[in-house]
Amino acid sequence: MASSPLYIVLCSGEHEKLQMAAMMASVGAVSERPVEVFVSMNAILAFAKDAPAADARYQGGAFSKLLKEKRAPDAITLFRQGKALGDLKLWACSMALDVKGWELSALVDDLFDGALGLTKFLSDAENGQFITL
Amino acid sequence: MTVKQKIDARGAFCPGPLMELIAALKLVEVGDDIEVLSSDKGSVSDIPQWVNKVHHEMVGITPHEGYWSIVVRKAK
Repeated sequence: MASSPLYIVLCSGEHEKLQMAAMMASVGAVSERPVEVFVSMNAILAFAKDAPAADARYQGGAFSKLLKEKRAPDAITLFRQGKALGDLKLWACSMALDVKGWELSALVDDLFDGALGLTKFLSDAENGQFITL
Repeated sequence: MTVKQKIDARGAFCPGPLMELIAALKLVEVGDDIEVLSSDKGSVSDIPQWVNKVHHEMVGITPHEGYWSIVVRKAK
């Protein structure tokens, strides 16, 4: 039996939550489970193409510091691995892009599948497991 | 047992060893074994769970000082 799809709304810009979302999305996708991630609010700032290096891209608390010190897998790299090895889609919230005055091209290359409205994402997510971070 | 490829993922944190294994499995033939060396405690349960879920085959897990040797056979 096919696994229920996993839908993740990622709106926090905290490193710890970005990391957890990337871990869940990548592991879920490589475990033959379709995963879709909707990135909005502060979270989208971490995906800016012109963001500084990883140390400054990811802002967080005590655990963020540990993740950086221990060189845990980079969140964006994990998302890329999930896409390369499994069924993972990332959507940029169209409202967040509008508020920032950004186009999709402002985000890191080859990661997002497009811009999407919340209504469409919620509709798609009706038949799956839904997680908000 | 003939290990086709060995992945030294010691020092990598979850889910690094698993992701390295999956990437390597894409490149070998059905029936080939891959050995992952991992110091991540979660790998000992996570890798067998993943292998079972996606229908590959666990060959074995051997504990060593500070790390584990986990051997997986590509079954499909």
